[in-house]
Amino acid sequence: MAPFYKYGFFGDEMSLVVAFVLGTGFGFFLERAGFGSARKLAAQFYLYDMSVFKVMFTAIVTALLGVTYLAWIGWLDLSQVYLVPTHLVPQIVGGLVLGVGFVVGGYCPGTSVASLATGRVDGLVYAFGIGAGTLVYAEVYPAIKDFVNSNDMGQVTLPEVLRLPWGLVVFAVVVIAVAGFSAATLVERRCGDKA
Amino acid sequence: MTRGRAHHLEVNDVSSDHRSAAMPGSGLPARPYWNPYLAGIGLGLVLLAAFVLVGRGLGASGAFSSTVAWLVNMVAPAHAQSNEFLQGYLGDGTTHPLKAWLVFEVLGVMAGALFSGLLAGRARIAVEKGPRVSTAVRLLCAFAGGILMAFGAHLARGCTSGQALTGGALLNVGSWAFMLMVFVGGYAVAWFMRWQWR
Amino acid sequence: MKLPALTLNQKLAAAALTLGALALFSVPHRGPVVTLDARELALIVEKEVDHVTPSELAGWIVQGRSDYRLIDLRAEPDYAAYHIPTAENVTVAALPEFPLLRTEKIVLYSDGGIHAAQAWMLMQAQGYRAVYTVLGGLEGWKDEVLYPALPAQASAVERARFERAVALSRFFGGEPRAEGGAAATAPMELPRLVAPPPSGAASPVAPRKKKKEGC
Repeated sequence: MAPFYKYGFFGDEMSLVVAFVLGTGFGFFLERAGFGSARKLAAQFYLYDMSVFKVMFTAIVTALLGVTYLAWIGWLDLSQVYLVPTHLVPQIVGGLVLGVGFVVGGYCPGTSVASLATGRVDGLVYAFGIGAGTLVYAEVYPAIKDFVNSNDMGQVTLPEVLRLPWGLVVFAVVVIAVAGFSAATLVERRCGDKA
Repeated sequence: MTRGRAHHLEVNDVSSDHRSAAMPGSGLPARPYWNPYLAGIGLGLVLLAAFVLVGRGLGASGAFSSTVAWLVNMVAPAHAQSNEFLQGYLGDGTTHPLKAWLVFEVLGVMAGALFSGLLAGRARIAVEKGPRVSTAVRLLCAFAGGILMAFGAHLARGCTSGQALTGGALLNVGSWAFMLMVFVGGYAVAWFMRWQWR
Repeated sequence: MKLPALTLNQKLAAAALTLGALALFSVPHRGPVVTLDARELALIVEKEVDHVTPSELAGWIVQGRSDYRLIDLRAEPDYAAYHIPTAENVTVAALPEFPLLRTEKIVLYSDGGIHAAQAWMLMQAQGYRAVYTVLGGLEGWKDEVLYPALPAQASAVERARFERAVALSRFFGGEPRAEGGAAATAPMELPRLVAPPPSGAASPVAPRKKKKEGC
């Protein structure tokens, strides 16, 4: 029964090896998509290259369908897959800040790692920025702790909150994604290759 | 980065289009990027593998936190251990803070990205930036962006990899809200930062 | 009739929509709905391999073992008044949502054993295979560990065993009963909660591991 680690198929040491291997796949596909390049990433926000949207949502849809089917046939115990607890307001604020950081810096943490691995100096500097920001965050944490932990909704999924069947939400996500991809391609053609 | 080195840095200018980046002088033309949907499927399958194998998704910002916690602990252990945020990444002392799942995963990301970059002729020392801005300013912005990103990621308990991708695929409410806000935040500021990219 | 040639992207979109439509009927195994294998569970129950005796548990605690999670299923005030050292308080209602790894050994106890047995069944249904109940529950703990009694005509083996029980009982703050005495009819005063055993067992309330699974 999956997740294998949670069912005792392998231990902590092995899971670190698995982490490395999975990371390799992650980094590989990030770079394949061109996300080691800040210019390509930032292009998303200027509407002439919607790859970030396309890659991200394709990945989400792929994994979502995979998880749905595996859980449906009983091979994957979905309740054992870790869901980050929802803290609505801090996460909304965090998302906004992250979006700004994305356009200012040109990367997100994952892509900055991919970028510095392929030699981009700005990716490396960005990574140092994350380190510095983390230090500052740690210092101010005691002051903002209550805010950070506010709005704790626990581990909730969209189907639970919307009171809709899981399958229906999955279908809706797929339809929206595919429609979004078509729209994105149209936008790309309109706003053109202004690089 | 010393000023001297900056002169040898290649800059990704207008001349190189955003679909592929040629590597002058090496004779190796860089390959174009993959079809985004195929790359997305690849990424999605890796994510799925993470769910199936380990019962968790991918991530990145946590590795930075572990590393920072470890460094601070080396330099000022009392302070690190009394700081609630850093202490969370130090644990109870039985395992080394760097022996964390995300740290190993991020090391893998480096390896995988390098491999892909080498394969495609895209690996080279360079600075990614738009044509109108200088390298120095670009690097400054990169640093600032990183700081902002750290705050955003810690507030949201994840970044685009951990929250958007992982949580998105699990239909996590917070993750979807977060993801939406990332795009909102990005688009809101894009016009003001266009001098850096266009 | 010839179908128009589809581009790769169009094929991908078609595949996604098909899979998505099919997913409309999915019922992923998540949340409170579980399936039970009645036959398998009946066998386990009959073989009685799902118990841990109070003495055994006492031994684990003294040894400072940390490979198990001891769960006290009673209400909070009862837990606060007295609980077996290293036990965590999780009521039956809270148990399904309580984060427990399926690789951990989980030992349940309640006052007598009924709630523990019911909770055991719930956990088995959720896929936990290493669940055990304390034989006799807290009452058994009192009888066997805290206030052991020596039977009237005890054999040499039984006397030896009793000596060990006495040492164990004192360790947990109990008192052996008078020789040959029947169980006291008056309610016995439970010992004040002692500090965790000195053998270095980790306090169950302290943060166990570092942040593990977030981003």
